[in-house]
Amino acid sequence: MNGKKGLSYKEAIREIEEILLQIEKDEPDVDQLSEKVKRLSSLISVCREKLVQTENEIEKILQEIEKS
Amino acid sequence: MDQKFSLAQLNGEIKKVISGRFNAPLWVVGEIAEMNVNQSGHCYLTLIEKEEDTDKIVAQARATIWSYTFRMLRPFFETTTGQPFRDGIKVLLQVSVEFHELYGYSLNVRNIDPTYTLGDLARRRLEIIQRLKAEGVYEMNKELELPLVPQRIAIISSPTAAGYQDFMQQLGQNAKGYHFYTCLFPALMQGNQAEQSIRESLDKIYAFEEHFDVVVMIRGGGSQVDLSCFDNYQLAYHVTQFPLPILTGIGHDKDESIVDMVAHSRLKTPTAVAEFIVAGVTAFEEKLDAFESQAVGLIEEILEEKRDHLEELSERMATSVRGKLETQRRHLVRLSWQSRENVLLSLQQKNHALEKKIQRIHLLSVGSVMRSRQNIDNKVFGLRRSLEQRIALDSKNLEDRLMKTRTLVNRIFLMEKQQIEFAARQGELSDPANILKKGYSITTSEGKLVKNPEDLHQGTLLKTTFLKGELLSRIVENTKK
Repeated sequence: MNGKKGLSYKEAIREIEEILLQIEKDEPDVDQLSEKVKRLSSLISVCREKLVQTENEIEKILQEIEKS
Repeated sequence: MDQKFSLAQLNGEIKKVISGRFNAPLWVVGEIAEMNVNQSGHCYLTLIEKEEDTDKIVAQARATIWSYTFRMLRPFFETTTGQPFRDGIKVLLQVSVEFHELYGYSLNVRNIDPTYTLGDLARRRLEIIQRLKAEGVYEMNKELELPLVPQRIAIISSPTAAGYQDFMQQLGQNAKGYHFYTCLFPALMQGNQAEQSIRESLDKIYAFEEHFDVVVMIRGGGSQVDLSCFDNYQLAYHVTQFPLPILTGIGHDKDESIVDMVAHSRLKTPTAVAEFIVAGVTAFEEKLDAFESQAVGLIEEILEEKRDHLEELSERMATSVRGKLETQRRHLVRLSWQSRENVLLSLQQKNHALEKKIQRIHLLSVGSVMRSRQNIDNKVFGLRRSLEQRIALDSKNLEDRLMKTRTLVNRIFLMEKQQIEFAARQGELSDPANILKKGYSITTSEGKLVKNPEDLHQGTLLKTTFLKGELLSRIVENTKK
């Protein structure tokens, strides 16, 4: 998924895995941890939204392809 | 001068020679180059033989299958081979050789051996498979990684095919409400032009490759017979070289076609292709869930550790401060032996101040532990809160609805109850026993209730019923009369 805005699913999953690994290994302090948790939950919710929401931009491109 | 023939005489002689030499039917192998069926149902064929390597035509003959024979041979051939009887295939035919003075040489087809064609097709399929393997391309499409979320789908199908509708329906009805982007690239999915038509659609998708995650090739509802275009080398090669994973749902359960074999994944029906795609997305969402719970677990673990650590630190600090104070106190006690009276006063003051300090230090350290703990708790709480809110909202909705239902039921019960009580009271009021209880009595004459004393004569026997018994009396005088 390579929408112009935001990340692809692949990139998101890679970053999630990275953050989890960091948390597991580096045991960050509470403030760092809070930053990482924020990032994690935003990555996960972005992915979830992408699954069910319609991105008009993609829809438009495909309609144009279908017409051509 | 040699003998002169008329053309008819010559052809007549040739006919004699041919019918003498070929006086019985014989079996001949040939490829159908052209085939026409006319209105009366007669089938006219052009048979050819090609040189193995060069495809150069080295022999050709006309052949005829009369309608009576053709009506039986065609279904026999097609049900046995699973292939249409058509041009481009090799056949073994039993023919009688004929020569007509006017129309020349032709073969009259009497019978057909479908097993030859089957063998030939199988051999050709095998050759194509071996060729694709030898070229090292057979596995290439399979080796492509299926995208994490196959959400943008290029579809090759006939827009009117039932299979296409099935696919779209199955995809649209997915239970989780995933959104899919589809784009149809129409193609003929059977017949002579199918191979080229499908290849053209693939080329078009190729031009927009970056906009798609996956290609779906579906067919369905058509005749089970005509799948030969999917056994085509050119098309199969194209599929192996395609940069996006291709999923097939060509809709037949007999043999796999070569395109099925080289495609990334082969599903039996268009519906199954849609299910496959939806299952892929579901797996991705489950992965997200797993990450989420892994994260919550890790974070709780870390916070627990930090909490323990803080508590231990504050404990240690308190102990060491107390120890130091104790040393000081002892020191002072020792001093006090030297200047007891003097020192005693200041000692008490100092002691007091020290005690206060101990308390403050302790309070401070406990306070900081408390604050950190609260900070941590807030964060854990925040993580869960969104979940709980969702659950709370749902359950509140449910409870509201339950409450409303319960109130309604209660109200109905109350109304019913009131009605029943009212009815019971009515009944009580009119029961004669209750009237008697109140001190009234009932008077009858000859078994009839006396309501109007004017109707009674002197001397008539009256029966009066009280609550606790009856009395007989006679009328002495009717004063109403």
